[in-house]
Amino acid sequence: MIRKVKNSFLQLFIVKLIAFFAVVFLSDLVIGRLLKKYYFKQESGYYYQTTYAIDKTEADILIFGSSRAANLFNPEIFEKHFNMSCFNIGRDGHPLFYHYALLKANLKRHLPKIVILSFDAGNFSIKQEAYDRLSSLLPYYSYHPEIRPIVDLKGPNEKVKMLSAIYPYNSLLLPIIAGNSAFSKTKYATIKGYVPLKEIIKGPLKTLDYTIEKELDTIKVNTYRAFLKECRAANIKLYVVCPPYMINAIGVDYSITTAKKIAQEYNISFFDYSRDTSFINKPLLFADFRHLNEKGVELLANTVIVQINNSK
Amino acid sequence: MVFVPVFILILGFTIVVDYFAGIFIENSKGTRRKLFLVYSLVANIGILCFFKYYNFINTNFSFILHGFGLSNPIPYLSILLPIGLSFHTFQAMSYTIEVYRGNQKTERHFGIYALYVMFYPQLVAGPIERPQNLLHQFREKFQFDSNRVYEGLKIMIWGLFKKLVIADRLGIYVNAAYNNVEQQNGMTLMLATIFFSFQVYCDFSGYSEIAIGAAKVMGFDLMTNFKRPIFAKSTGEFWKRWHISLSTWFKDYLYFPLGGSRVSVFRIYINLMVVFLISGLWHGANWTYIIWGGINGFYLVFAMMTKKYADKFNAFTRINKFPRLLIFFQIGITFLLITFSRVFFRAKSVEDAFIVIKKMATFKGSVFNAGSALMLYSFFAISFLLMVESKKEFYTGSFSLSHHNNFWVRNSYYSFLVILIILLGVFDGGQFIYFQF
Repeated sequence: MIRKVKNSFLQLFIVKLIAFFAVVFLSDLVIGRLLKKYYFKQESGYYYQTTYAIDKTEADILIFGSSRAANLFNPEIFEKHFNMSCFNIGRDGHPLFYHYALLKANLKRHLPKIVILSFDAGNFSIKQEAYDRLSSLLPYYSYHPEIRPIVDLKGPNEKVKMLSAIYPYNSLLLPIIAGNSAFSKTKYATIKGYVPLKEIIKGPLKTLDYTIEKELDTIKVNTYRAFLKECRAANIKLYVVCPPYMINAIGVDYSITTAKKIAQEYNISFFDYSRDTSFINKPLLFADFRHLNEKGVELLANTVIVQINNSK
Repeated sequence: MVFVPVFILILGFTIVVDYFAGIFIENSKGTRRKLFLVYSLVANIGILCFFKYYNFINTNFSFILHGFGLSNPIPYLSILLPIGLSFHTFQAMSYTIEVYRGNQKTERHFGIYALYVMFYPQLVAGPIERPQNLLHQFREKFQFDSNRVYEGLKIMIWGLFKKLVIADRLGIYVNAAYNNVEQQNGMTLMLATIFFSFQVYCDFSGYSEIAIGAAKVMGFDLMTNFKRPIFAKSTGEFWKRWHISLSTWFKDYLYFPLGGSRVSVFRIYINLMVVFLISGLWHGANWTYIIWGGINGFYLVFAMMTKKYADKFNAFTRINKFPRLLIFFQIGITFLLITFSRVFFRAKSVEDAFIVIKKMATFKGSVFNAGSALMLYSFFAISFLLMVESKKEFYTGSFSLSHHNNFWVRNSYYSFLVILIILLGVFDGGQFIYFQF
């Protein structure tokens, strides 16, 4: 008798637990589907830009990199000179992993003729942030198998987390609402991915000590190698560009010197303007110490174009 | 703060020392009894001091020697702080002290004693349990109790919500501001400090609730560690609601042995300051924590010194005629005082803390907008917390979603929380702040 009562308690408990998980599962599925629908319905903003870069762009010239790509490379200047279409894929704070994933996704459906990879000081440094940033690619994880190994670098449990339909859109509720609003179209207007900066730098020159950071993240170095190899294998003309900084630098950035050496190994042009005197100490060309303003962007584009022509 | 497998030996060492110390204390009388207690305390405090304070003490020693134009011959060591060391050494010490006091019988079963120190839900971040509450539970026979499992899971879900949706979200803004205090204006630092107050509460109480909930699911009751400290009406009341397991530890094993409140008023003030300064040092080997402890000790001393004036002030302003307004006022003042002290708790150095205070005092600048989404999520998180905690604090008998009679209402509420965790939780980076202690 007692055993029977115990069993019925246990059964009721299991039924209630299943009911709880069923509600969670169904809510997750419905909300996840809605988020997916509206995520891909966006027509402006950062997220739309990533979707466009992965699924739509057919441009002949693609520019990859962080904000130092997005704010420093004006596609219109390159289009005019090379008479080819150009799109700037650059995205604020996004590391090499992200760009390698985008390159792989692009190569699945179209072959660009020229790729410019904007390289930053400290790109190979050991920082967890670069891995965390891969969450930007979660909405594409399920239907772009080629990017999965890269997104999995985020952590060992990504595959399990992806069982949730909401998880790929974690923290994206408000950006999705904004991205579907008319307001977003004016706020996030870009020129083929390029976001011009109009300010002029103020204040004293920043001093950066590059002698401190010597340890490199081998996964990031290998991803850079893979990016170079992939372009070479696809016969794409790749130019790695390190735009200028307006800083007082102590020592040389170890990431840049390493990237340069690797580019040489693969016979790929590496244009290093990080300490180019035609930029440094000219505040009128900079919006802040990492980013050129519109005037500086024009000078950079013309300098890069000349070097590309010379390297042919 | 790291997990290194070999560090389990440290835990093993303290377990063996305290296990035998307990037996020897119970079997001895007079000074021998005291001697075994001292051995146990020296072993525990010695380990804690070596791993946590060696380099801090050495740095300060170097500073003093430098003042006399001398160099320090003692080398710095590259020591990693074992995860949860401060928690399990305090829990182990409470066992030998209670055995010495005769409040707890010696645990002769080595496995059960080891479990008391290593009980995994609360091993790394508390609550710091007492032997009277926990040890006997390991000897009880358990029967499956579905209500207990539900309760445990509910507590865990709320703890996870506090940690992932509130604490880690606010932490993004706080880190951005406090990692670069020179670049921030006063208003930004003020907002970051207020956010930090909520962050540290949700982080630590969230973790405690996960531990309490996990233990409950398995059939064990751990002590309540937080009782909505946001609504404390005085700093004294705050410490009765905040990190209760640590506050009572210090009260029972330090404040009372120093004489507690049975000594002269001046000695009470000294005792309070000593307890809070040591409590500050327990939180971290940095002067910022010691100052933080000192400020909180001062609050209590000041409140005691001015108690009669405060009553007169309330009567003079007639605010005591409006009890609700008075409570609101008291809660607000307490929150601001505690939040102010946390500038030292969060700042990387004493210099940084003073920069923050100086900048905050100017009330200048506009608040740094770290992205509309982050700001809105942060305000939503705080509002949700205040709503739930206000309900629990002030409207206990009224309508409740979490304890509704209808299963489907309760079920939907907790499903909603889980969905919010997946939708708005921060899953990257962030670690439990209190792990470092």
